[in-house]
Amino acid sequence: MSSNFLSWIVLIPLFSSILLGAMYLYSISVKKIADRYFTFFALLAPMASFFIGFLFFLGLLNGNGEYIYEPYTWLGVNGYIISMGFLGDKLSIFMVLFVTFIGSMIHIYASGYMKGDDGYGKFFSYFNLFMASMLLLVLANSPIIMFIGWEGVGLCSYLLIGFYFTEPLNVVAGNKAFIANRVGDLGFLVGIVYLFFYVGKLGFDYGALEDYVSIVPNHILVIIGISLFIGAMGKSAQIPLYVWLPDAMAGPTPVSALIHAATMVTAGVYMVARFHFLYDLIPHVGVFIAYIGAFSSLFAAIIAMKQTDIKKILAYSTISQLGYMFIAVGLGAYSTGLFHVFTHAFFKALLFMGAGAVIIALHHEQNIFKMGGLRKKIPLIYSVMLVGTLAISGIPPFSGFFSKDEVLLKAYNHNEYLIYGIGLFTAGLTAYYMFRLFFVTFEGKNYKERKMQNISWSMKAPLVILAIGAAFAGFVGFPKIFGGANLIDSWLEAWSGAPTHIEFSADIMLMSVSVLAGLIGISVAYFKFFKYDFNQDIKESGLVYNKFYIDEIIDFLIVRRMRDLSTFVAVVIDDGFIDKTVMSLSNGFINLGRRVGRMQSANTRAYAFFMLVGLSSFSIYLILKLGK
Amino acid sequence: MEIGLLSFIIFLPLVVSFVLLLLPVGMKVTRNIAFATTLVVFLFSLKIFFEFQLTDYMQFREFHPWITSYGIYYSLGVDGFSMIILMLITTLIPLGYLFLWKTKKSKGYWASMLLIQTGVTGALLSLDLILFYFFWESMLLPVFMIIGIYGTGNRIFSTLKITIYTIMGSLFMLVSILYLGVHFYQEFGVWSFQLSDLVQITTLSNTQRTFLFFGFMIAFAIKIPIFPFHTWLMQTYSNAPTGGVFILSSIMAKLGIYGIVRFVLPLFPHQYVEFAPYFVGIGVFGLIYFGIAALMQQNIKRMFAYSSASHLAFITAGIFSLNAYGMTGAAFLIVAHAMATGGLFLLVGTIEHDLGIRSISGLGGIAKKAPYLTVAFAMMLLCIVGLPGTNGFVSELLIVMGLFQYSHVVGIISATTVLVAASFMFWMFQRAILVDTGNDISGMKDLDIKEIVGIFSLAAIIVAMGVYPHWFLYKIEPTIQHYLIDILKVGVAS
Amino acid sequence: MIEVSFMSYILLAIILFSIGIVGVISRKNIFIIYMSLELMLNSINLILVSLSRYFGSMDGQIIAMMVMAIAAAEAVVFLSLIVSLYRLKHSINIDDYNSLKQKGIL
Repeated sequence: MSSNFLSWIVLIPLFSSILLGAMYLYSISVKKIADRYFTFFALLAPMASFFIGFLFFLGLLNGNGEYIYEPYTWLGVNGYIISMGFLGDKLSIFMVLFVTFIGSMIHIYASGYMKGDDGYGKFFSYFNLFMASMLLLVLANSPIIMFIGWEGVGLCSYLLIGFYFTEPLNVVAGNKAFIANRVGDLGFLVGIVYLFFYVGKLGFDYGALEDYVSIVPNHILVIIGISLFIGAMGKSAQIPLYVWLPDAMAGPTPVSALIHAATMVTAGVYMVARFHFLYDLIPHVGVFIAYIGAFSSLFAAIIAMKQTDIKKILAYSTISQLGYMFIAVGLGAYSTGLFHVFTHAFFKALLFMGAGAVIIALHHEQNIFKMGGLRKKIPLIYSVMLVGTLAISGIPPFSGFFSKDEVLLKAYNHNEYLIYGIGLFTAGLTAYYMFRLFFVTFEGKNYKERKMQNISWSMKAPLVILAIGAAFAGFVGFPKIFGGANLIDSWLEAWSGAPTHIEFSADIMLMSVSVLAGLIGISVAYFKFFKYDFNQDIKESGLVYNKFYIDEIIDFLIVRRMRDLSTFVAVVIDDGFIDKTVMSLSNGFINLGRRVGRMQSANTRAYAFFMLVGLSSFSIYLILKLGK
Repeated sequence: MEIGLLSFIIFLPLVVSFVLLLLPVGMKVTRNIAFATTLVVFLFSLKIFFEFQLTDYMQFREFHPWITSYGIYYSLGVDGFSMIILMLITTLIPLGYLFLWKTKKSKGYWASMLLIQTGVTGALLSLDLILFYFFWESMLLPVFMIIGIYGTGNRIFSTLKITIYTIMGSLFMLVSILYLGVHFYQEFGVWSFQLSDLVQITTLSNTQRTFLFFGFMIAFAIKIPIFPFHTWLMQTYSNAPTGGVFILSSIMAKLGIYGIVRFVLPLFPHQYVEFAPYFVGIGVFGLIYFGIAALMQQNIKRMFAYSSASHLAFITAGIFSLNAYGMTGAAFLIVAHAMATGGLFLLVGTIEHDLGIRSISGLGGIAKKAPYLTVAFAMMLLCIVGLPGTNGFVSELLIVMGLFQYSHVVGIISATTVLVAASFMFWMFQRAILVDTGNDISGMKDLDIKEIVGIFSLAAIIVAMGVYPHWFLYKIEPTIQHYLIDILKVGVAS
Repeated sequence: MIEVSFMSYILLAIILFSIGIVGVISRKNIFIIYMSLELMLNSINLILVSLSRYFGSMDGQIIAMMVMAIAAAEAVVFLSLIVSLYRLKHSINIDDYNSLKQKGIL
């Protein structure tokens, strides 16, 4: 496998996106193009990328170290060169595989979900642009090239959130996502620039950075580490930059599944893993990251408990699960974090797509308290959702159990008991709110009967495939302690961090505790919501329901103040002071002209007087000067 | 007398313009011939681009006596920095013409546009300070007419304001130029206004140099404009016709920057370094200040005026960062910003053409009616915002790196550029283009084929320069290094 | 008896000239202004004549004669101008002769 095929993993979706975009513009302005042509090109791209990625995977299996492809010098200033480079090592190919696989599934699903939509072609153009950006992010061999993908996914996120752009709320949500991400990107940019000036001049690809990172002074490393993590906070929706993710659910459901659950939001985790050589040197920053992750997961889980919108619940659960990932990568267990990324991609994509199917079946109803009793109506969706919910709740042997448990194990093993406690508690909460969603949606009594819309096979097939994945993906990382191979750890050996030393019995005990937490959550949800009576009123108020009023606080403290400042600057300072000064200068000349002009009074006697004064002063001057 | 390539590029538009004015032809013929002229100029400038040698010398030199008794020569030349701006001018103007195609103006409009081109290319390529001053002022005249005759709103006031304001600034420069010339005569016994001669003056005291430095700087600061000389910009941009604001924003403002690099830097290297902190400070301050001011603007052109000012302040900070990153980034941002802002003003021009002048709240829902326009608008906007994959990102990255090398704190503050433009641009895009506000926009038409060709060529260049910046940058690298090492370091040491 | 020196003539001329100036500046009647002008002219003549005597040269007297001749001619022109001005304005007040005054600036 020649390494220059790496670029095709990115280029195929990119070209597909451009082609689809051109076709779409042609279609709406000149002549309608049938949806099936769009479908063909749209689905081809991620699958082709997956195929190429798989070939590289086989190459790596056969013992190739890593593939590097540097087609051209991207930028060369002052003699320092930044190459447009692609890196295919075990980490990036792992990411490529699951991104393209999940991506393909969601593409298929979306071809059913978006059927008949006016913006069908546009949707897939954006989707493939997203795939290209995400794959560039993953495959980049330099932080700057990664940043191109990093912002590219942000752009696609913006475009897709505001997909139905005639509705103000969607666009506002898109703007919010873009700006929040940009705040993160500011941090990322600062990190990159620091990195470049302290070590990047020796070569700005990951290999060189890894070799020379030790020459950077420690306090600078801390700045770099935190700056880069601010970028991750934005992209992966951690406190305090998480606010955009729940609103991002304004986009069509496949978007939420692909971008805001499975792939883009995990970019932050991937980035920290990619910079593992840097974070290994500053473990205290890692602990800080882990704490941010822990608090984000708890905070989001608490908010999720009271939400009523099915997609918002899933959005908050995404923030919460991302928190788990950051706990792992913060504590140096990158492979564990990526394992959770991997399993999470399956079950969260599954949950979102299941939710999307429910929403479609109910003619775009998103409030779970207006659903109910769907088990008998859509049994297939019911069963796949059950698998997904069990997986996220951490019930063995579903995938979420293995990865989440390993995250908690790492926290315990690092003696970070507070993080462990938060994680465990959050696991219980997760089980509770997920089963609340599940029971209210599919069970309950006295719900309103309604006409269901058919769900096409193109939506069902990926659901089944992902359900299988959500059920069994965990076995890829089957713990060694049970005699498993933990393929993830061995594949990502360089990223697995310090090995865990823990007694078999202690491990069993920890697992039991976390399963117990999940079971407690499920039982509470069962008693409260399994026989939920839809006749009662839903309480839609309170601190938690309103997400602790964070959005309102931000709006009041930042957005409004900025607008006031803007008005002040433009009106008071610019128009009122600076321009006034300039104009008063010019008016001063005009007034001076008026004054002087007034001497031209047509009063002959005055002229004569001026002449007298002028001549006499001139004479007096001459007399005094020459008289000596 | 043989006509050199550069002279041809400069004077072809002038000659064509005069001939068209004298001949009894209509507006359409004038327009078509004007467009053909700019295309010819573009083709000849391509020749310069490809024959350009990778050195720091002035190339394609032309040198003829003009007013020999005072040592004033007709002297032209191009180096890496001016080459990239020359390419920008000659590429951008024909593309812009495609957009101005449907404006119902008389033939004087097109003749003036051609005259502007002569003025800007002449100022760009002249190496004699008197010749430079001649072109520098001559480009104001057609602008004066274009705004005054074809503008909207309070156009007479606006055109008087820009003209008098910039001429007032230029007078300081003229005095400085004459002072330098006289001083050269006193020192060497011959008259000369050649840049390469004037830099050899050694007997000026530091105080004198400082005064002369500010004499030049005030002219360029008003033209760019640098805070606090910017207030003409907003009025002029909102009242100028599309073609005028297109030229003003994308080309003339950039010549101010160019003037600083071409003349101020070699003439007063010591002062350049000494006052660099202030200009970096003003630049970064302006970046944020104008960005904030843009947020609540109601008039789209006014908002873009503030946005331009914000970017130009950033470019100014870049050229005063005294290192290759900042300088290269500034050169690149000149191009990137000219293309994106020029494109945006052209698009806003078509909106104004179809719907009349409206505030942002009076627009909305354009995306549904005009998808091509929206796509083009979005691409230009993303370049302004500095999204990776566009040349806007490359230049902003380089300037941030340059400022970072200059001072870590300044670098970090300037990195807020990724936030500044995004905050108001996207909000504007939402209100003016995307969201359906229920305003009557039935008059809105999508871009026609000429405009599509024009704007998407521009977008293609923007993306190409963002994806493969090195191919565009390596040609100016020797020039930048020459400025930094040969001029700045040597000048400071002496 | 008071001795009449050369300086006395000069002093007289200066006094006459000053009276003329004050008359030109302060009076509004165009005839009086004209008379004041003539007064000034004659004071100059006086200086010319006395200097001519003082230096023993005839040049000053010749000039004075020419001035008187010209003044006579000038009086004809001046008086006819005043008459036509009076026809135009019906006034001999000099402040009314202000047709060139600009009405409002800019």
